[in-house]
Amino acid sequence: MHLLPKFDFYEAYDMGEACKVLAEMKSEGKIIAGGTDIMVNMKKGLLSPKCLISLARIPGLSGIEPTSGGIAIGSNLIVSKLLEFDLIRKKYNLLSKAASVLGSPLIRNRATIGGNIVTARPAADLPPPLMAMGARVVLKSKGKERELALDDFLVGPGQTKIKSTEILVSIIVDEPPPFTGGDYIKLMHRNALEIAIVAVAVQITLDGPDGSIKNARVILSSVAPKAIHAVSAEKVLIGEKPTEKLFKKAAALASTDCTPITDIRGGAQYRCAMVETLTHRALSAALRQIKGK
Amino acid sequence: MKEFAIINTRLPKVDAWAKATGDARYTDDLSMPNMLYGALLQSPLAHARIKSIDISRAKRLPGVKDVITAKEAGLIKYGVSPARYDETVFCDQKVRYIGDEIAAVAAIDLETALEAVSLIEVEYEELPILLDPFEAMKEGVIAIHDEFPNNICAEVHQEFGNVEEAFKECDYIRTDKFVNKKQDGAFIEPQSCIAFYDLNGNLTLTTSTQTVHYVQRTVAMVLGLPVGKVRVTKPCVGGGFGPKASANTIELASSILSMRTGRPVKMTFTREQVFQHSRARHQFWHELTTGVKKDGSLIALKNTCHMDGGAYSSFGIATVYYGGSLLGAPYKLPNMKYDGYRMYTNKPANGAQRGHGGVVARAAWEQQLDVIAEELGMDPLEMRLKNMMKRGDTTCNDFNMSSFGMEECLEAIRDGSGWKKKKGKLPKGKGIGVACGFFVSGAGFPIYRSETFHSTAMIKLSEDGGTINLYTAAADIGQGSDTILTMMAAEAIGVRYEDVRVLSGDTDFGVDLGAYSSRQTLMSGHAVKQAGEDVRDQVLEVLSRNFKIPVEDMDIKKGLIIFKKKKPDFSVLRSTYIKEHRGWVDPPVGDELTFKEAARVAYFEKGVVVGRGSYKPGDLGGKYKGAAVGTSPAYGCSAQVVEVTVDMETGKVTIDDMTDAHDCGFAINPTNIEGQMQGSLSMGVGEALFEEIKFDDKGRVVNPTLGEYRIPTALDMPNVNTIIIESNEPNGPWGAKEVGEGAIMPTIPAILNAIYDATGVRVRELPVTSERLFTLMKEQEKK
Repeated sequence: MHLLPKFDFYEAYDMGEACKVLAEMKSEGKIIAGGTDIMVNMKKGLLSPKCLISLARIPGLSGIEPTSGGIAIGSNLIVSKLLEFDLIRKKYNLLSKAASVLGSPLIRNRATIGGNIVTARPAADLPPPLMAMGARVVLKSKGKERELALDDFLVGPGQTKIKSTEILVSIIVDEPPPFTGGDYIKLMHRNALEIAIVAVAVQITLDGPDGSIKNARVILSSVAPKAIHAVSAEKVLIGEKPTEKLFKKAAALASTDCTPITDIRGGAQYRCAMVETLTHRALSAALRQIKGK
Repeated sequence: MKEFAIINTRLPKVDAWAKATGDARYTDDLSMPNMLYGALLQSPLAHARIKSIDISRAKRLPGVKDVITAKEAGLIKYGVSPARYDETVFCDQKVRYIGDEIAAVAAIDLETALEAVSLIEVEYEELPILLDPFEAMKEGVIAIHDEFPNNICAEVHQEFGNVEEAFKECDYIRTDKFVNKKQDGAFIEPQSCIAFYDLNGNLTLTTSTQTVHYVQRTVAMVLGLPVGKVRVTKPCVGGGFGPKASANTIELASSILSMRTGRPVKMTFTREQVFQHSRARHQFWHELTTGVKKDGSLIALKNTCHMDGGAYSSFGIATVYYGGSLLGAPYKLPNMKYDGYRMYTNKPANGAQRGHGGVVARAAWEQQLDVIAEELGMDPLEMRLKNMMKRGDTTCNDFNMSSFGMEECLEAIRDGSGWKKKKGKLPKGKGIGVACGFFVSGAGFPIYRSETFHSTAMIKLSEDGGTINLYTAAADIGQGSDTILTMMAAEAIGVRYEDVRVLSGDTDFGVDLGAYSSRQTLMSGHAVKQAGEDVRDQVLEVLSRNFKIPVEDMDIKKGLIIFKKKKPDFSVLRSTYIKEHRGWVDPPVGDELTFKEAARVAYFEKGVVVGRGSYKPGDLGGKYKGAAVGTSPAYGCSAQVVEVTVDMETGKVTIDDMTDAHDCGFAINPTNIEGQMQGSLSMGVGEALFEEIKFDDKGRVVNPTLGEYRIPTALDMPNVNTIIIESNEPNGPWGAKEVGEGAIMPTIPAILNAIYDATGVRVRELPVTSERLFTLMKEQEKK
């Protein structure tokens, strides 16, 4: 039987207050957003913070703001909203696609985009598309603010560069340039309530309607301690014309870019094979999107 | 065709409002004043000797009211089948699986109870762990139970006809192996109970169970109480599927704790404990050799089965028989040999789950029949039709198919699925498959040898005549027996559905063996029908005396008395009734005498008006050893066609369409039947594609959650075309028989056959995960 341990609950009314309380708690305070992860871990006894500081009442953390050249997504935005906003569905569809396969409707109505990033699970659904789009995270602490590429923010299972005094406040995503397409494909045992066996997120940008690949990001998930770039796949794509042959080559390279383990959800060999299949499919889908097909 | 007022209609379930609004109360929703909370100490080791147990620190913890171990609870052995009572409430000398129960605590709240459990100190001496049943059978390995030195819990050897001789006549013989994985029942409501032993020495146990009767007997036996002092009652139950069909440790432990403390004690399993307690589908290894003639006629079957039993017997004695006997039908099969072995291992005990013992054998055989049809160049559906038994046929193991709409089922799914247009004509990656199955409509014998009635029912009229109370110990565990029995009572008496109030699932209401072996519609139904007819006859007899009209000239329909000839003057009766009930809101009105008034007249004459019903099957089945397992007064049957898409690059299987025909004899409530068909198919899909309890090398379940033990979600189920076939079962009430379990039988093999049609790969190990199928497809490519 797992029961929640005792803890204090602090509902901050603005960011300043939240940062102040968090700083005062030293490392004994933890931020709670949707709670879909932290409550489970507290019940299991893996975490026992003295105080949970809620972001629920802090204004401005649950919206999407335009920035110069993109958007800033509030960290407390619940995942189901990523499916509702037209702007996300149309311009950042990679993100809404990933959101649509995260957990179940119940979980999507509680879990937040910030939580999905900060908990740093190797199979989390939102980091791969965000990394494919080159997202950055904004971290605030008492009197300070800094910005980090999501690539650098994530370190390993459950580990990030966030300091115990910092709060993730927003995620900045640049608007995809012209001639850009992407896809997120998650291989699951069943069709909902799943942690990926393997997932791949891809975004490619061409230098013209029939041009060469100017920029390519291929992100592999569930095959390493954190979502990773398929470095050699990206390298082989950039500067080349997008052809079936090239995509096949990149997909094959992607499967050598990861070192999955065998666990309860799948074997290492199968995962490598699936990285190849999914990378190829995602690249093809990205190109179709660019071509408007 | 006979017209019915209530049965054979789609009335809403009696508990529809409560379930839809969330008002329905399950055991863990309930509490009692002064109630204590119980918690269990369970073994962290799969096999160990207990050297010492120290409960002193736990007892000293403030708020702890009692701590019990085997010393306090005693060592009376119990189990499911009296032939294999091999459990005690708590472990005494040793523990046999991770989760085996050692002690229990009762405290003022759950936090305290859990803390106290952590303060109990147990010293263990670790023993070798046996997780593989084939290892467990080897000479010289440690015995998990001293009484069974080679760890064979049970073995069965049966032969009907002469298989070896019959093989000599066959034109084609093939052997295949098949294996599934240990399942979990995955019911939504974990087991929960509240025991209360009062000052007069009466124990009331409120519990999430399928079988109040069996729990009552076990609790009385283990606690040394007279059966009459033990009342077992169930509130709403959130599914059972087999694992809740016998007494469990928390029912016994909470009862003992309540007797000792004099306070109510509640205990509830966590999801992890549900997995540890288990008692669900075994893991089976089948080797089947089937011989046929060139024309496709089945001649002989040799079936060898090994089963991983886990640490205790549970339902396993029945399971090991079912693993053989349930291949006796639905095809004409003159020769059948079966050798079954159930082994003890250091894992949670396996027991019964929907389609008890037959599901894996069925999956193995129906896939093999598909292979044989292909080898012979026959359409697999036509080969099945060719061999199908007919109404009145008896199997080689003496099961009588007193009704059997299997041909109709096969024809219905053939036509309903577009089989002829699709079979053999679908593109690579798309496939269609067919399979059949059948199941008992209630075990023909109780689990303990007895002349007992299998079901009794009592119907009591309220003194105002307006309400008809139906008392039954049958268990509605979500499947809808309360609805079915209410409909039957209303039909038998001739009153409206809403006039009957069902009170069920309580040993105070009678004897009913409970919700297992798909028995209640037929067996409880018989008792209820009889009780309803008894009430009807009593009321009409009183009216007959009052009005001087012969009983046969009257009838009761929709709550009104029908006078077939001359309607008597009942104005005095009506005005008296209205006077007596002045100020009440529901005076009898209209031109007809109401049942309410008639029942009031009967009350004046008889005092209490009670109708009685009871049922037991007559002499059934064969006389050979084990004949009791599989023998039933009737058999339901079903056939399914499944269509799948296989992603050839990942191995992922998507079920596109399912067409299911089930012969339920007669549909008391078609909506309920379709619900059971859909539920069975969903369970079959899970078992075919996802479900598997996994263990580490220490014997620990590594996926004891519904996150990592995957049952299908709504998104994994296609729409199902459900076709109800009615064959009018002579041994069933109004011709009705089972639907609860038979419908799962064809699902797994139909999926496997469709996967073969899509990929050319035969999968002989469940579940068919995308990885397993992908790997097999790659191996096939290399060949």
